[in-house]
Amino acid sequence: MDPLLKELTKLEKLTAGNGKGPSIAHSLDSLLLSLQAAKKAFLAGNCTEDDLRRLAQVVEAKKKEVDERQKEVYNVLSRFGKALDKKFPSPLPSYSDLFSSAPSVAALERTVALHLLRTGQFDVAETFLQESNVKIPGDLRIQFVELHQILKALRNQDIAPAIVWAKAHQEFLRSRNSPLEFYLHRSQYIRLLLSSHPPNPLPAISYANTNLRPFYKDHEVEFRRLMACVAFLPLSRLQTSIYKDLALPTLHFDLEPLFAKEYCASLGMSRQVPLRVVGDIGGGGALARIEKGRKVLGDRKGEWSQIDELPIEIPLPSENRYHSIFACLVSKEQSTDANPPMMMTCGHVISKDSLQKLNKSGGRSKCPYCPVETAVGSAKRLYL
Amino acid sequence: MGSKLNQEGIMLFEQPFARVPYESYRKIFRTSQKNVERDLGGAQTTANDLVSRGPSGSLSPDEAVKSIDNMIGKVENLKRKLADLHETAGKPNQDVMRERLHHLATVETLQNTSQSEFSRWADIRLDRWLVDWCLRTGKEKSARSIAKEKGIETLVDIDLFSDIRRIEDALSRHSCVEALAWCSENKTALRKIKSTLEFDLRMQEYIELSRVRKTLEAISYSKKYLIAWHDTHIAQIRQLSALLAFPPNTACGPYKRLYDASRWKTLAKSFRLAIYNLNTLSSEPLLHLALYAGLSALKLPACFDHATKNVDCPVCDGESGAGSEPLGLGKLAKEVPYSHHANSTIVCRISGKIMDGDNMPMAFPNGQVYSTEALEDMASRNGGIVTCPRTNESCSFSALTKVFIS
Ligand SMILES: [Zn+2]
Ligand SMILES: [Zn+2]
Repeated sequence: MDPLLKELTKLEKLTAGNGKGPSIAHSLDSLLLSLQAAKKAFLAGNCTEDDLRRLAQVVEAKKKEVDERQKEVYNVLSRFGKALDKKFPSPLPSYSDLFSSAPSVAALERTVALHLLRTGQFDVAETFLQESNVKIPGDLRIQFVELHQILKALRNQDIAPAIVWAKAHQEFLRSRNSPLEFYLHRSQYIRLLLSSHPPNPLPAISYANTNLRPFYKDHEVEFRRLMACVAFLPLSRLQTSIYKDLALPTLHFDLEPLFAKEYCASLGMSRQVPLRVVGDIGGGGALARIEKGRKVLGDRKGEWSQIDELPIEIPLPSENRYHSIFACLVSKEQSTDANPPMMMTCGHVISKDSLQKLNKSGGRSKCPYCPVETAVGSAKRLYL
Repeated sequence: MGSKLNQEGIMLFEQPFARVPYESYRKIFRTSQKNVERDLGGAQTTANDLVSRGPSGSLSPDEAVKSIDNMIGKVENLKRKLADLHETAGKPNQDVMRERLHHLATVETLQNTSQSEFSRWADIRLDRWLVDWCLRTGKEKSARSIAKEKGIETLVDIDLFSDIRRIEDALSRHSCVEALAWCSENKTALRKIKSTLEFDLRMQEYIELSRVRKTLEAISYSKKYLIAWHDTHIAQIRQLSALLAFPPNTACGPYKRLYDASRWKTLAKSFRLAIYNLNTLSSEPLLHLALYAGLSALKLPACFDHATKNVDCPVCDGESGAGSEPLGLGKLAKEVPYSHHANSTIVCRISGKIMDGDNMPMAFPNGQVYSTEALEDMASRNGGIVTCPRTNESCSFSALTKVFIS
């Protein structure tokens, strides 16, 4: 952005009158003085032809000054324009009629409405729901309001509403091995521990007895650490001890995203904000790559929009890999229901079709990766 | 966690963001040029006139003073106008340019998507896309509401789009005046992109005169405005001349089409394309482009099979739950191609982690595969017994087999 910022600074200086030559306002002021003087001379009756000629010269000279300043602005602007061309060499592609069918419009409006609710922008969501045709069930809206009330309480160091919710969803949280409830109590325990001066650990320990002990079995190691750290108070000592991680603010801050994740999961929603995920991938290189692929492969008009599968691979960060993919190295084909991955007795995996092709007359297939042979029927279908 | 930022991919979206305030500044500059030309140019003419009349003695002192007063008025007027223009338009516009460049410079200094600054930046970017999408789909209140709530008014083009809306509204009321005024403001730029919008608008005004049978007016309109396009649009101009012989209810094909009201819709569309083009705005909302690319990078056949759906996958569209049609992103994903993968990637259905040499896949006797880490964790909490969450089959950890996927 530096070349652009540099030109912009020049433009700002020029137009604020800090340029090299006289500013436009300055030139006009001086022109006004000359005009006033000429007027005075006429009124006094002593104005010669030479005076008039000089006046015309002044007007011309001042106009020239102004034009020169304007020319400078013009030059900076065109340099700015060239810098823009250089920084942004390719225009955005056009995909006509994309997402323009009525069902697609409805799907996108619904996605945006849920996005606004999920991210707690309730006023905006209200306006949006009025301006679009999407209907979001009332109970779903109420749930998002509840989510944000609980998150707000957490931000204000109040874990009570979160605990109420976690208790009501204990079964669900247990099925996900979620540490949410334990972490909520842990946060409260540490806060109690560090809130007394001089340190009085008794209230914290009594809190731990009631609230943390039920989690002893699932979080044995952490439970022991929490109790042992009491010996390292006050805070300044704790921060230099082997329990310093318990003194970090993230122990409390991380509750918010964790809670939001569990809450959304209970509604059958993803852990990340889906519009952000897709937008970050699309706007983080995917479109650029697709466009490059399109150029390389030579998109004859419209053909690209008909394709069923991208002819190029778009790399994804590991946190955005949501499904297993098995590509058989022998056949180079992706597995399908009809051609699933098969594990041979040696543990190596190839596709069913490849396995059948390797089948020798004796009813055994030799593994392409190792010397082991697998008898027909003893390879196992895998579910990834 | 996270991945390296792809600056080129990010910047692909940002040309309009940087260019719109620049184009708008150029317009302000042109206005200042016009003022200088008119007022100072006028003063110059007056001064030269004084000089030429002086020697002939035809100039009375009164007249001379009047002329000078007139010049003083012009110069003062110019001074005030230029100052106003700078205060109310030029300076605020420069500030917008600066803020946007800074916004882009911020992301240029970042390296990895896991940085919290990137997350904040991407949040704003999504808000900008949402505003752009709202503005293009007629949800102006929502657009303003998002911009205000997030304090990103300088980062979105609400003014440009309300201008577009004003002119489009006029076209839908069958008035070309506003659009023609816009054309004359942007004459040079339109010529550069070889736009025929102005001709199309003129043509429409002519058709409207013919529709109400104002034949003479139509003819003089043609002389005044259409003849200038003679070199490039001769065939159309000839057809338009003949139009006067046909009443609006004619059944004759080409003339019936000229009278057709759908031409107004086409005009609105060409206007929109022209103004987008001049500002390097994409013809689709930026959100559409980002979603197209993002969804096709993610889309897999597994997203549409109930047995393999993953609640965290945006294409799987968790909201709709099992058994129903996708209602949101999954529905949009039907319009985009599937992603392509040359290599295997095995994602653990318990932990969501990608399996590799350090975290090998292991298979239950029934062929269900999970990661070693997740299974070890389960075994340690259940006395060495593991249970497949998809089939509920239980066995001892030692009954699992290692899977080798290359
Ligand atoms: Zn093998
Ligand atoms: Zn999916």
